[in-house]
Amino acid sequence: MDSNKKYWKGLEELNRTPEFVEKNKHEFAEPIPIEEVLSGGGLMGKTPRRDFLKALGFGVGAVTLAACQKVPVHKSIPYLIKPEEVTPGVANYYSSTYDGSAILVKTREGRPIKVEGNPNDLLSKGGLSAQAQASVLDLYDNSRVQDPQQNGSPTGWAQVDAFVKNQLAAIAASGKTISIVTSTIHSPSTQAVINDFIAKYPTAKHVSYDAVSYTGIIKANQNSFGKAVLPHYNFDKADVIVSFAADFLGTWISGEEFTRQYVSNRNNKSLEAKKMSRHIQFESGMSLTGTNADVRIAIKPSEEGVALVNLYNALSGTTLPGSRKLTTANADKAILLVAAELKAAKGKALVVCGSNDVATQVLVNAINSLLGSYGTTIDLDNPSRQYAGNDAEIVDFITQAKNGTVGAALFLDANPAYDYHSADAVKDALKKVSLKISFSDHADETAALCNIIAPNHHYLESWGDDSSVTGYYTVMQPTINPVYNTRQAEQSLLVWSDNPVKDYYTYVRNNWNNNLLAKGGLSGQAGWETLLQTGFVLAAPVAAGSYTFNYDLNAVAQTILNQSAKLAEAKVELQVYQNTAMRDGKRANNPWLQELPDPVSKVTWDNFAAMSPSDIIKLGLDEFEVIKIEANGYTVTLPVLSQPGQAPGTISVAVGYGRTAAGLVGNNVGKNAYPFLSFLNGTFQTNASATITATGDIFPLSQTQTHHSFEGRNVIREASFTEYKKNPAAGSGAEGEHEKYDLWEATNEDHIHARPVYDWVMAIDLNACTGCGACVVACSAENNIPVVGKDEVGRRREMHWIRIDRYYSFNNDSNGHAVTKEKEIAKLDNFNNVTVVHQPMLCQHCDHAPCETVCPVLATVHSSEGLNQMAYNRCVGTRYCANNCPYKVRRFNWFNYWNDSRFDNYLNNEHTQLVLNPDVTTRFRGVMEKCSMCVQRIQAGKLQAKMEKRPLRDGEVKVACQQTCSANAIVFGNRNDPNSEVSKALKSERTYYVLEELNVKPGIGYQVKVRNTGTESLA
Amino acid sequence: MSHHHESIIREPLMTGKDITYAQITNDILLPVENKPNKAWWIGFTVSSLGALLWVVSISYTFWFGLGAWGLNKTVGWAWDITGFVWWVGIGHAGTLISAVLLIFRQNWRNSINRSAEAMTIFAVICAATYIVAHMGRPWLAYFTLPLPNQYGSLWVNWNSALMMDVFAISTYFSVSLLFWYTGLLPDIASIRDRATGLRRRIYSILSFGWTGSLKTWQRFETVSLILAGISTPLVLSVHTIVSFDFATSLEPGWHTTIFPPYFVAGAIFSGFAMVQTLLLVTRKVLGLENYITMFHIESMNKIIMLTGSIVGVAYITEFFIAWYSQVEYEQYAFINRATGPYWWAYWSMMSCNVISPQLFWSKKLRTSIKFSWFLSIIVNIGMWFERFVIIVTSLHRDYIPSSWAMFYPTWVDVSVFIGSIGLFFTMFLLFIRVLPSVAIAEVKLLLKTSSEQSKKKLIEEGHLDPVEVQYYKESLTKYDSIDMADYEKV
Repeated sequence: MDSNKKYWKGLEELNRTPEFVEKNKHEFAEPIPIEEVLSGGGLMGKTPRRDFLKALGFGVGAVTLAACQKVPVHKSIPYLIKPEEVTPGVANYYSSTYDGSAILVKTREGRPIKVEGNPNDLLSKGGLSAQAQASVLDLYDNSRVQDPQQNGSPTGWAQVDAFVKNQLAAIAASGKTISIVTSTIHSPSTQAVINDFIAKYPTAKHVSYDAVSYTGIIKANQNSFGKAVLPHYNFDKADVIVSFAADFLGTWISGEEFTRQYVSNRNNKSLEAKKMSRHIQFESGMSLTGTNADVRIAIKPSEEGVALVNLYNALSGTTLPGSRKLTTANADKAILLVAAELKAAKGKALVVCGSNDVATQVLVNAINSLLGSYGTTIDLDNPSRQYAGNDAEIVDFITQAKNGTVGAALFLDANPAYDYHSADAVKDALKKVSLKISFSDHADETAALCNIIAPNHHYLESWGDDSSVTGYYTVMQPTINPVYNTRQAEQSLLVWSDNPVKDYYTYVRNNWNNNLLAKGGLSGQAGWETLLQTGFVLAAPVAAGSYTFNYDLNAVAQTILNQSAKLAEAKVELQVYQNTAMRDGKRANNPWLQELPDPVSKVTWDNFAAMSPSDIIKLGLDEFEVIKIEANGYTVTLPVLSQPGQAPGTISVAVGYGRTAAGLVGNNVGKNAYPFLSFLNGTFQTNASATITATGDIFPLSQTQTHHSFEGRNVIREASFTEYKKNPAAGSGAEGEHEKYDLWEATNEDHIHARPVYDWVMAIDLNACTGCGACVVACSAENNIPVVGKDEVGRRREMHWIRIDRYYSFNNDSNGHAVTKEKEIAKLDNFNNVTVVHQPMLCQHCDHAPCETVCPVLATVHSSEGLNQMAYNRCVGTRYCANNCPYKVRRFNWFNYWNDSRFDNYLNNEHTQLVLNPDVTTRFRGVMEKCSMCVQRIQAGKLQAKMEKRPLRDGEVKVACQQTCSANAIVFGNRNDPNSEVSKALKSERTYYVLEELNVKPGIGYQVKVRNTGTESLA
Repeated sequence: MSHHHESIIREPLMTGKDITYAQITNDILLPVENKPNKAWWIGFTVSSLGALLWVVSISYTFWFGLGAWGLNKTVGWAWDITGFVWWVGIGHAGTLISAVLLIFRQNWRNSINRSAEAMTIFAVICAATYIVAHMGRPWLAYFTLPLPNQYGSLWVNWNSALMMDVFAISTYFSVSLLFWYTGLLPDIASIRDRATGLRRRIYSILSFGWTGSLKTWQRFETVSLILAGISTPLVLSVHTIVSFDFATSLEPGWHTTIFPPYFVAGAIFSGFAMVQTLLLVTRKVLGLENYITMFHIESMNKIIMLTGSIVGVAYITEFFIAWYSQVEYEQYAFINRATGPYWWAYWSMMSCNVISPQLFWSKKLRTSIKFSWFLSIIVNIGMWFERFVIIVTSLHRDYIPSSWAMFYPTWVDVSVFIGSIGLFFTMFLLFIRVLPSVAIAEVKLLLKTSSEQSKKKLIEEGHLDPVEVQYYKESLTKYDSIDMADYEKV
């Protein structure tokens, strides 16, 4: 039976509508309506396919075009006529001179970009100070005076010349004095120009003074030996060196030269010959030299003279009238022991004193005479010409100017309105002078008081010469056309004095042809050309004679002791000193120097009042609390810095700060300490009695290191010379061999990094490093390291690729152990028995680099030459590498230092950036950077060797830090070459690797710090 | 799911009288289907201001560079990675509740899993923003992906824990999102069915055409279980990998094998605390007392107490190992934590994370809503400090004393963190406005078996052992959503 039941799915099916019937046919297959589309209907539709494609095509094209930024076209013209010797990408080196040292100036495409020591330089044999390294930046300082100025507004040279000559003639006619005020001129040609000028204007007078003066020594030598000279010291000939507050490794006379000499008796070579000099330092503030001393005794400035008198007594066996004991028993004992040591080393001993007091220096002469130093460690016959200023001259000049007898004052490399102890006296005096001319390249404090600023060239734009030591003559040649509308001061003097020689270049040539070339056995054009290549001539030195002191010392001792007694009455004794970075303040506008941490305090961008920690506790002062210091009628407020080793009852303040017209960088950085000086007995005295009051304010100083002890960690390894003699490996941790395990080598051969040709490593001798910091500036110059300023340093963000870690440790009287842990140090009551160690710290280029494994994007990888490399372009800036670096040497670009208006004052402007090394890229913000071991130099050296089809020679490539180090503390080279200097150095028993227990396999070996602490404890 | 009878009558997972399926839907969709109340608006205004602060401070950072933060050459990570780990950790409770408790058939998860999962997603978003923001060049963040490129062998570094992080976090985020959204489908369909107009269309699209057929439900169950299976290892792996950021480094205080379990426990600890923080407020404001009951609160408090104790043991173990290893750097790192310049951070961590959860041994405290909420905040603070202590106090004084430094946050550091909380709450508040904050479908499963009314019915039927009933009744006293008067005559 058929069922009539009908199942339906919907009304449409029930009703069998036509649509349903039609659809039902194609229930399971719906063909793509290609035909329909192509046959017109589709194309006519609302959005036909072609329109859609057109719209899509146009849209994509338009968006692409809109997204494309037009590539900026920088039209550049290659050299149509290539200047001779200028090949883009290849540096040219010119010999020149900086401050009497022979140097080499590296230029690229016509721009001087780096100053390097001349390896044959008499003074430092290729080493250069931080100041010299930084000097190239001053060339590009855009706060230099760019045109001659008359009464503060720019003018032309012709107008200046007309005005000045007219005025000079009038002044000469009126019989008034024309004073040429300079700092020491050691250039023979400049001196000759001045002499010619004086010949033209008979009323002219040369006033020579130095902001930081050595008049005391010069006058003392005049008194003692009839020779008004600054002697040439030979620290390399001294087995025992006793220094009374002379910072001879840093700022005293010729720091780089003395460093080289001093270290030659203390470095690895000397130690291996079982020879090490002994250095005892008596001083108030902790100086760079004091940090390197074997024994350092903190004494007050008022005790310096007393100690010298006692030393003289002990050496001579007499007792000068008025002699008294020192206030501290150990210093007293030390003097006797020192006397014994000096006596034993007679003929090989040297006593130096940083005082500028004539009487004190006379006494030092007497002591050295007793020790037979003259003719051995002190050379009076080939004297230094570095400082010849006479303090009395500037004092007289100011008196005469005040009296109205001075008609004109010309300031060449002199800025008395800043560095004379009474700026007001200078201002008042200059009001009475009608013609005031400054040759300064900045509108500095004195230039601001002048009618005329006749801006001098920078030395890299100048012809000239120099002579830092008698018989040693260096030549200065320009390496760039003058950047601004400036004129060399000598040229101005030639013009104003109507000299028959019209330009200074000819003048210099004449001077050399007539006088100097012959001293080096050269002559004529060929001789001159040889000179330009070698950079100097050296006349055979006169044989140094021995001098004997035989004058009555009673009066001298009386003067010294009276002065000391007077100073001792002070509540606080103030010592004014120079620090290594800023020196006398002339380069205060140099951001590299401002950011260079002071080697001792690690403070940047400021000066401060250094006080003993015990005094700070006693007075209840906070760290960086601002105190008011009053001395010699001058008051200044400065933050306090706790300085271990500072003699209790004393404060030390550095000069060179508090400039008000140095330029954008240097203005108002720190406070001026020159006004604390006083003029007494014919010289400027650097000590004063002061009173201090706390203000309660805090002024944070920006230090690059805020933890000062090494916590007993074997990061620092030390030994005494006695221990070293018994066992050269003493203290290095290399005595006991132990089994070493390596996760990688045992399991996976691939992890042994192949070093087929080169394996670049370094050796750093802690015994050679004095901690001066020249390497820091050299590295900044070589590697385009940004300057970040006080605030950023204060946030602990300085960018230096190499830093010098400075650690204090203390001798505990009770058990004789070194106290290095912060918590134990805090319990000490005597912070004077401090020893210091400096450790250069930079990327260790570890073979198992912890930074490499953690970078997510492989931005830091190892090269087949053992270098840990940074691919800046790949870096996304997670900073994981820096966190994982046990040495904390990686630096992050927190801001876009090269293009951020907040850093405009430093290196971030178009002009200053001309100093950049084109071989090294500047890094963008958000990118990590660190020491590359000057990979650009390695590449250049390899390329050179390749072109000459020879292997790279050891020592051919020098990294920037190594190159500038006068102490030769850093040796760089190829470990694969067993005969390389670095391989030899690393074989020393003293070698250890910092944190070697982590098995990161650092590529830098350090050599144990050895102290000649002797057998009997002095401290 | 569980239609078995309980051998002993257990505490109810849902309270309320005469509750029907419809009423559950009505109750839970109340905030979704009605205009928000004043409390929501206040919360939303404050949170969006916070989110705005985040936008401002992140923009400031991107514009000027990371120098806007207080980091320095020694402390390369501080509030950024602290915030990152904190947020990732918070996310873990959601995954644990939704995945692990599902697999273990812990039905009490049904009323809290939705919010907890949402919290996971928002927390992971907050964490991910930190990953990008902490980069020096965030516009190159794609460098961390193994993208094919023209540079031949230029590839990412699989040795780096940060690289693993990128994958851990992205996997975690995608799986969590998938799990959460799958769970949402039936509920979105419920909203769709009740909505009209544009809302209906939107929810219709969002429901992916959910029909509610048996097959759909079956697949839903299967997918849920599979996703739970995938998520479960993530509960352990994600924070393990996050801990690798530290554990695989050389840094004293980081280089520790205990980190993976310790971090996972800490993550669950902080996650549950955050769930408490959110739900205790949500249940009150949205009137969800019957669904999120004292049983839930107490259970979570027990987990907080347990994980807090694990974390405490880990802290002590670290100290022991530092001493036992005789590694001076490690020893110093730990002594410095407790007594160095950041001692206050360490002791905040210890008191918040170790001491305070122990108070939950007291039943009175762990069933007090106010105290639970207060303690959840304390734990959140403590866990933030834990990460801060691990990161900053380890970094600021490691091997070379010359580089020791202090970290001081800037206003930007603080704003980014506060802003991320604002961002989190903005997202959460928007979530409870547009999506059901309790899983409707899953809660409905409880009605017939685990609800108070069904149990009451059982009791009234009189088949139960009176001792058990008495015990059951006593257990009800802690519930704030049960009127004990109802039980006087039972």
